[in-house]
Amino acid sequence: MYSDLLHALPDVFAWTNFAAVVIGVIAGIVVGAMPGLSATMAISVLVPFTFGLEPLVALGLMAGIYNGAMYGGAIPAVLLRIPGTPAAVATTFDGYPMAQKGEGGFALQVAVVSSSIGGIASAFALMLLAPPLSKVTLLFGPSEVFWVAVFGLASIIFLLGGNPIKGLISACFGVFVSVIGSDPIYGNDRFTFGQLELLDGINIVILLVGLYALPPVIDLLETPLKTDGVNSSKLGTEPIWKALPRMNYWKTWLRGSFLGIWIGILPGAGGSMAAFMSYNEARRTSKHPETWGEGEPEGVAAAEVANNADTASALIPALTLGIPGTAVAAVMLGGLLVHGLQPGPMLFRDNPDIVFGFMWQFLFGAILLVLLGGSLATNSFARLLNLPRPLLGSVIIVLMLIGVYSINGRMFDVYLMLGFGAIGWVMDRLKFPLPPVVLGLILGGFAEENLRLALRIGRGDPMVLFQNTTSLILVALTVAVVVGPTLKKRFIDSRKKA
Amino acid sequence: MLNIFKKTAIAGAMILSAGAALAEYPEEPIEVIVGYSAGGGTDVMARTAAPFIEKYLGDGASLVVKNMPGASGQIGVTEAANADPDGYTLGTFNLPGMMARTIDREAGYDRDSFTYLANVVNDPNVIVTSKESGLDTLDKLLEEAKANPLAVTVGMSSLGGDDHFALIKLQQATDTEYTIVPFKGSAPARTALLGGHVAMGILNISEVAEFQDQLNVLGVATDERSQFAPDLPTFKEQGLDLVNGSMRGFIAPAGLPEDVQAKLIDAFSQLSDDQEFLDAMAATANPVEVVTGEEFKQLTSDLYDLANGVWQTTPWN
Amino acid sequence: MPESRNSRLTRPETLTAGGIIVVAAGFLVPTYDLRAISALLPAAMLIGLIVLSAFLLLADQRKASAGEDATPMTTSPKRVIGAFLMIVSYALACDFVGFYISTAVTIPLVAWTFGYRSPVGLLIATVIVVGTIWAIFDFGMSQDFPTGRLWGR
Repeated sequence: MYSDLLHALPDVFAWTNFAAVVIGVIAGIVVGAMPGLSATMAISVLVPFTFGLEPLVALGLMAGIYNGAMYGGAIPAVLLRIPGTPAAVATTFDGYPMAQKGEGGFALQVAVVSSSIGGIASAFALMLLAPPLSKVTLLFGPSEVFWVAVFGLASIIFLLGGNPIKGLISACFGVFVSVIGSDPIYGNDRFTFGQLELLDGINIVILLVGLYALPPVIDLLETPLKTDGVNSSKLGTEPIWKALPRMNYWKTWLRGSFLGIWIGILPGAGGSMAAFMSYNEARRTSKHPETWGEGEPEGVAAAEVANNADTASALIPALTLGIPGTAVAAVMLGGLLVHGLQPGPMLFRDNPDIVFGFMWQFLFGAILLVLLGGSLATNSFARLLNLPRPLLGSVIIVLMLIGVYSINGRMFDVYLMLGFGAIGWVMDRLKFPLPPVVLGLILGGFAEENLRLALRIGRGDPMVLFQNTTSLILVALTVAVVVGPTLKKRFIDSRKKA
Repeated sequence: MLNIFKKTAIAGAMILSAGAALAEYPEEPIEVIVGYSAGGGTDVMARTAAPFIEKYLGDGASLVVKNMPGASGQIGVTEAANADPDGYTLGTFNLPGMMARTIDREAGYDRDSFTYLANVVNDPNVIVTSKESGLDTLDKLLEEAKANPLAVTVGMSSLGGDDHFALIKLQQATDTEYTIVPFKGSAPARTALLGGHVAMGILNISEVAEFQDQLNVLGVATDERSQFAPDLPTFKEQGLDLVNGSMRGFIAPAGLPEDVQAKLIDAFSQLSDDQEFLDAMAATANPVEVVTGEEFKQLTSDLYDLANGVWQTTPWN
Repeated sequence: MPESRNSRLTRPETLTAGGIIVVAAGFLVPTYDLRAISALLPAAMLIGLIVLSAFLLLADQRKASAGEDATPMTTSPKRVIGAFLMIVSYALACDFVGFYISTAVTIPLVAWTFGYRSPVGLLIATVIVVGTIWAIFDFGMSQDFPTGRLWGR
């Protein structure tokens, strides 16, 4: 297998194939950086176009876009508090406060270095460990996946913000939105009111663009003369080699990479969950958790390393089993089918040069990210924010429409996005936290589907949920994460009193 | 009001141009509406077939694939059913799904809404069991199912699809009962089988071809062995009359002018002898079985009756 | 001085909480037609929303009786409503009139209305944005945007 890996290398360096990766990374960063445009949308627009391309050119483009966009999403997350992609939501927590403090340039550098590290780790996992890791995926049947979802949902309690009631309302809202569509088992309609467009559920990108991009646009238009926004003169950028020594986040990078890779190989949950979990874990183990959320660079590192660490690893179950680990990987799987690459164990035997070449492209995409991403972000994108605010606002409006329309090619989604936008604006003004909505939407329906599948397998007996070690470990982890911090606090309090 | 005007205008234009246009059909690009996103099985079929159809239509014909994903293909097929029947809008069609949806929900079309051009792909069902289940022959499976009704869990993709109908046929033919576990799509169902989380699965031959070493494939639901995997025995060989599959083809709105219909059907019927096309389809895991015109219509009608019969006795939602 | 009864009820949080309760209750109605297992999660979430909003409402009213002023949602409601209306009309225009025309009109219109008045800047920005979108999506990717329902096909 490893000789196949080396054998595939020369093809990757054929100039068209390599150029595809470079173009892909740049395009990905641009797409990710545009509020409203997402990687999912970019790759689904690209797939029909790749029919006429050589496989490695097409796959190189996709690998590049995926890597680029997962970092690109951090740029507006830091500068405008608009996550450019769903996975960049956790990047806003500390990235935006950093930008307000005049450390936006450093935040972007942390993001690009962390993204690249996550991407490289993930690419290595894909190249070297795909077959064994796909065995891990097989351990997760419906009941285990249900517990993974519960574990993710439990982390909502750390995202509730200052007012837990509002946080819980956000979470309930997110979970409720996740059940709209057809019932996961019977296929009957739930809250679709006869609209076929709602039958497949509400795409996360639609909700995200509405909730996260519309309120800031209204802000831009509401007080156009306000000049306290972030602009490039206040970015505080220094050359990246000077910034590098300040980044001492090895533990966070390591943990985030591991979490990202692990979440990636589990079907369905995807990048945003990885970023949330990595952020929570990094904060929980931090020596000074109180600085988190106020502009702690390590928070940016934690989120960004994890959301890139699941890019290549999400392809492990996609390539070996046909079940994509993230929404973007699902679209890419389509791109692979177009080129006659059927997922399965035979794939590695039948088309080794293409499959392993594709893996190399992931690795080079991640490495290129540091070279291309750093300067592109700080030199060009940040300058866009010097645009007059009303102009910036109107351009973002157009991008939002394009991004949402292009997912399925229909205006219905745009109207839906505007509806979420109105809700998002009210939530923003009344300080309802948005992250619980996102996690609720991602994990709510996912948890329900797997719970009900598990119950069917157990023919209604709930004990099926506790029948094996993997499930029990996950239950224990969830309990530890939820109860752990409270116990720790009690312990510290009681020692203080004593 | 505007609408009536528009319709009259279109009708007028059609009458005026009818003689000339139809003789030279196609003189503008033909749009093929695919009800799934780019990269799905149906989309790949449409895009693979398009250049061959262009070739057989001749005269520089051009086919443009347009994806209208959503609601398991229903949005796209409804759009195709309601398009102008001028031969410039075609659609892809999936069986038994498209017919089953007219039964289990309200649909904006029925079986008379279409001009049936050709069914191109027939992906037969297979019954597989997980290695861990130990049920490595059809006899062992049936024995277990008879001894313990409902004890065998069956992973498959959604209710009301070809997998589900295959299971119902199996239950009726063998007088057995199973616990259905409907996953969202066949890849998750197959993964659950590989992991041993369900004992048995009903999938399609293209979906298991790559996994024959990791699963027990008990048989194929065809009359004769599939070219796609000639080493797999049919159920008929094993004394079980079970024939079922998932089909994908092309339709146009009802009321297509006869010469246009004839020209299209002629082009589609040449696909089955085109080795280049067959190879391209095999590479994308689409087992070809071309059925055109009246036969395709009859096939659809039969499947509708089957689905309707099932729905009357055991509705699935 | 305690607020008048009327203004107590129009506090933003009170209104929002009330709105959530009404909407969630409305969504509860269709759950009766669903199978029990299918209705379980949505109904639980809706009831959760109702109960939580009731708490929120009570908390806000308690603040009101304590004489705490509610922070207004916005200081310039006209601008906010205007911005919303413009965005919605832009979406409608794309749907009915067509994407490229609407975009070419909307960018300068919105920017001008909300305070950016340089004609040259507006022209350049509009040309760059519309041109880039056309070059990438239409020319490069043959991706169609709405052409306008009013014109038929």
